[in-house]
Amino acid sequence: MNHRAQSARMAAPEAPASGVRPWYGYGLGLRTEHFDAVLEERPAVDWFEIISENFMVAGGKPRHYLDSIRARYPLAMHGVSLSIGSTDPFDREYLRELRQLVRDVEPIWVSDHLCWTGNGGINSHDLLPLPYTEEAISHVVARIGEVQDFLGREILIENVSTYVSFADAEMEEAAFFAEIVRRSGCRILLDVNNIYVSSRNHGFDADVYVAALPAERIWQIHLAGHSDYGDYVIDTHDHPVRDEVWALYARTLERIGPVTTMIERDDNIPPLCELVEELDHARRIGAQTVSTPSLVVCA
Amino acid sequence: MTALATLEQRFLEHVRGGESFPRTWCRQGLVDSDIGLSIYANAYHSRLREALEADHPVLSTYLGDELWATFCAGYTDDHPSRVRSLRHFGSRVPEWLARNPPFTAHPVIAELARFERALLDVFDAADAPRLDWAAMEQLDAQAWPSLRLRFHPSVRLLVLSTNAVEIWKALKDEVEPPAAAASAAPARLLWRDEERVTRFRPVVQAELAALTAGLVEARDFSGLCERLARDHPAESVPAMAIGFLRQWFDEGIICALAAEESASP
Repeated sequence: MNHRAQSARMAAPEAPASGVRPWYGYGLGLRTEHFDAVLEERPAVDWFEIISENFMVAGGKPRHYLDSIRARYPLAMHGVSLSIGSTDPFDREYLRELRQLVRDVEPIWVSDHLCWTGNGGINSHDLLPLPYTEEAISHVVARIGEVQDFLGREILIENVSTYVSFADAEMEEAAFFAEIVRRSGCRILLDVNNIYVSSRNHGFDADVYVAALPAERIWQIHLAGHSDYGDYVIDTHDHPVRDEVWALYARTLERIGPVTTMIERDDNIPPLCELVEELDHARRIGAQTVSTPSLVVCA
Repeated sequence: MTALATLEQRFLEHVRGGESFPRTWCRQGLVDSDIGLSIYANAYHSRLREALEADHPVLSTYLGDELWATFCAGYTDDHPSRVRSLRHFGSRVPEWLARNPPFTAHPVIAELARFERALLDVFDAADAPRLDWAAMEQLDAQAWPSLRLRFHPSVRLLVLSTNAVEIWKALKDEVEPPAAAASAAPARLLWRDEERVTRFRPVVQAELAALTAGLVEARDFSGLCERLARDHPAESVPAMAIGFLRQWFDEGIICALAAEESASP
């Protein structure tokens, strides 16, 4: 999976598609509460996704468990602090630590979010919304290129849930996302729950959103639960995946074919076996919807 | 400043509590922009509060809801996160509590925070191999005076003025904590053992002197003995020093030995 990055600054208007969408099956977000259960129960999970920042520590239990679980499962690295849309300079130390973790973990891929997290050196630790403007596209594309060059690999970028949109928007979110992907050569981590949440909050058609994205670039899907307050919806990751998101997931697979999928749970974390059962539901939808390829074996 | 930079600056100011984001910059959608902005503001403050609670579970219990909320709001305003991981957001908590009323009136509060932060540091400090006493026995006797010990990266020495650790233990065990008071055993040694379990124990005055010399000041064995000799008869110092060394090896907190000429600066 060690693709050479496509530099945005060097890129032709259309970055070439390199490689076919790989298939790693069905995964879960690796959470501290489940470290021992993962090692003792060896659950039927094809891969795990780690939050990169949780393992940017010198040693101790986090790195011990990381090494032990990596010896048994493929891992994807998912970051929350890249702040790809920020107008602050990159945190070079963060990038160096990320690159070192990539070397240590040898993940199936590396992802982060289409958002910004801080400004003026202050980190909000939240995934904040970008304006859908040409200026933001140019800025983000250049930054993705910089990261891809630095890491020596293409990254996956994920759509976030949003609760505000900006008056100076020059396009809809899906067009904004698609253009960034097209120009930067990055891949897409499609969060189906986030599409649903934002579609409810902003009144767009979630299926139209999916259709606007380059399907061949969608390499991973996130599923998660949200909280529905009637007039608005918040992406809380503290519930099982809701029916309306399962339905959108099924329609998405019908449209784009099999995609490596995982479930995120960050609060009200249940026993591991419950999440494995929930993941089985994703497997059933996948099996009913599309013909899934044989599992790629990743050492 | 570009339009994007200005938008980000004003948006973050608003999220932090500045109420400065012009509503005309928002596109009115299904969700009212005031509600949308408040979702971000609430998330910002609750995420940072949760991070502080995760790092300081006992301190938050000790303070109670009202004082804890006062602390979280004050600390977050004074020290907005400039770190990439929430793990380090609270790194200045002890110092803040020691400077800001009403917390300054109760030194035990800042010391509880110091202890909890030391536990965090011990938890994810770097790994290193550990030496056993046999390494010392193999040394030539002439090498002992210039010998420097390298302690395990997880080792922390805390010198406290209050009974913060006793209060911490009581609250952890969910029993009534003692009243705040001066500590009878003011120093604590903390480390992570080979099973990655965090351990801590009191340090007596003589061992504190030895640790100050050997750990804090990185002095060699003769310097460590000189420090002990300030308060103890010279004839008792070698046995006392060797006793401490033996204990540190047995606890697995020594990871390297260096003679004078090869010691790291």
